[in-house]
Amino acid sequence: MKAVGARLPRYDGIAHVTGRTVFVDDVRVPGSLWVKALRSPVHHADITGLDTSQAEAMKGVHAVVTWKDVPLLEYGHLSALGIPADEPLLAKDNVRYKGQPIAVVAAEDEETAIAAVEAIDLDLSEKPALFDVRKAFDADAPVIHQWGNWYPHFEAEMDRRQIRKGDIDRAFDDADVIVQGVYRPAAIEHVPLETQSCQVVPEANGRLTIYSCTQALYFSLGVVASHLQLPLNKLKVVGGTVGGGFGGKVDTATETMCCLLARKSGRPMRWRWTREEEFLYSSTRAPWHMEIADAVTKDGWILGRKMLTLHDSGAYARFSPYGLTKHSFHHTGAYTIPNLSFDGYVVFTNRVPTTAMRGFGVTSVSFATETHMSRVAEVLDIDPWELRLKNANRIGDTSPNGITYTDPSTVPVVKALAEGMGVELSADLRAMSRDLREGDLLPQHLVGQLGNPEDH
Amino acid sequence: MNLSVNGVTHEIESGPLTTLLDVLREELAITSPKAGCEQGGCGACTVLVDGSPQRSCLTPVAAIDGAEITTVEGLGTPEGLSPMQAAFTHHYAAQCGFCTSGMIIAAHAYVEGGGTDAHEAIQEALGGHVCRCTGYVKIIAAVAAAARGDSFDLTVTAPSAGMVNLGGVT
Repeated sequence: MKAVGARLPRYDGIAHVTGRTVFVDDVRVPGSLWVKALRSPVHHADITGLDTSQAEAMKGVHAVVTWKDVPLLEYGHLSALGIPADEPLLAKDNVRYKGQPIAVVAAEDEETAIAAVEAIDLDLSEKPALFDVRKAFDADAPVIHQWGNWYPHFEAEMDRRQIRKGDIDRAFDDADVIVQGVYRPAAIEHVPLETQSCQVVPEANGRLTIYSCTQALYFSLGVVASHLQLPLNKLKVVGGTVGGGFGGKVDTATETMCCLLARKSGRPMRWRWTREEEFLYSSTRAPWHMEIADAVTKDGWILGRKMLTLHDSGAYARFSPYGLTKHSFHHTGAYTIPNLSFDGYVVFTNRVPTTAMRGFGVTSVSFATETHMSRVAEVLDIDPWELRLKNANRIGDTSPNGITYTDPSTVPVVKALAEGMGVELSADLRAMSRDLREGDLLPQHLVGQLGNPEDH
Repeated sequence: MNLSVNGVTHEIESGPLTTLLDVLREELAITSPKAGCEQGGCGACTVLVDGSPQRSCLTPVAAIDGAEITTVEGLGTPEGLSPMQAAFTHHYAAQCGFCTSGMIIAAHAYVEGGGTDAHEAIQEALGGHVCRCTGYVKIIAAVAAAARGDSFDLTVTAPSAGMVNLGGVT
């Protein structure tokens, strides 16, 4: 434990302050071509015509790649886990969000690449777009996806993430008060200062070297290899230096398309998204729609919770089923509620696809549950600190997905928060511990609900 | 056109309306100024032009023909850090590092211009620089330390009085 409390040099600190750190776009490869993308100018449309011949004939243009050039068009980050993919690398028959890539070009310089993109002939038949998850289930809503408007491939052939625990009807029958709330945090753009970027070098031995700003090097390796149908040993990914990611760089945004262009033209590729592309077309944190109804007693016990979550996935699923699953496991927050009924849907809209961001799926539900705890305290006219400590996770309590807590931190954290904020807790609250609920301290609604921490 | 960059004179071949950022990065391969937004919003491309911090992404090279340019590579070396580079290192004021070049250039100019360790004045001086890792507290601490003329022993590995011991939470 020599490191704890010691001043340790950052391995990259001196390089950062002297300008020596080599970020992806700082790599200098002679003969590199600039890459630009033709993106959908509309939110939702069928592609009725795509002609790249004029762009391909332009002086200084070395390659144009469309869906026809992709050996495996649809592949997702979760494909390896048996979760079907839904997103083509490049749009084929339709576009489902504004900014979706349709073709990529490689040219001698940035200006020529931009001109080549403008020379591609694209015909679209625009369709009504859907932006509000609450309308996705309406009979007359625009249908976005081959799967309809929500992701249908959870376990046991369910079209949602579902949790059932305890006896929810009894909890609501026994309640003194039902407290309801709706919570809708908005989408958030990650805004890394380093925009999505990569460089790809076709090597003499047939391999491709990929300089990538990915946060998840092995994800990117697998995704590129799958789309290109190449064995992993044909790809060398150089990563590890990320100019800010915050979750958004788990997506493989640029690498695969640059590899296809490099193979088609035999030249090194360089693609750096503009700030405008980053803001408008890179993935965001998802907006969420969460409805909570709690069955509570006058003295501040939460007997049961019903919750409906609509996870706005944007146009494609990407990691969203995983994010929603984490969300569902955390939907009681840091508190123990024995009777639960949770239904969560990954809903498609014509927004940019959403992805991981700091606490994927959990920050949204934490916002909702903590705000709701304060609302419950207000309705009951009870001290919010008392409500939180009373219902706090304790040793032996069980999570929504049935895990027995052996090391829960709610009680010490809430007490430390009170101390840090200068809030004086009553002697009763100060005496609360995270120990197993026993004897008089075991409330009636938790009788028979505890797990055995010794089993874990 | 000519530019002196970190003490070395270069004849510039890029066109007159090429941005200073592109001249440095693409023609001269000096890559510490970053293309963060290319519209003057983030500050990551900031360099010294005749001693004053400027957005290189908004500066056509023809407008500064003959100028002396300093980038963070020209302030100090890994073996001989400038006071501001040492302050950033000591205070862990770089996280991902992408904004760091511009931050250090602006902070260097602030202290060279007589800036003090007053936090509000430092915030004003760095107001055009975005750190998306949100490491502002450490950055301001570093600039204040450099403004005071603190000296740092960067080889120290003993526990620091400044570090918070969170203790055992039970």
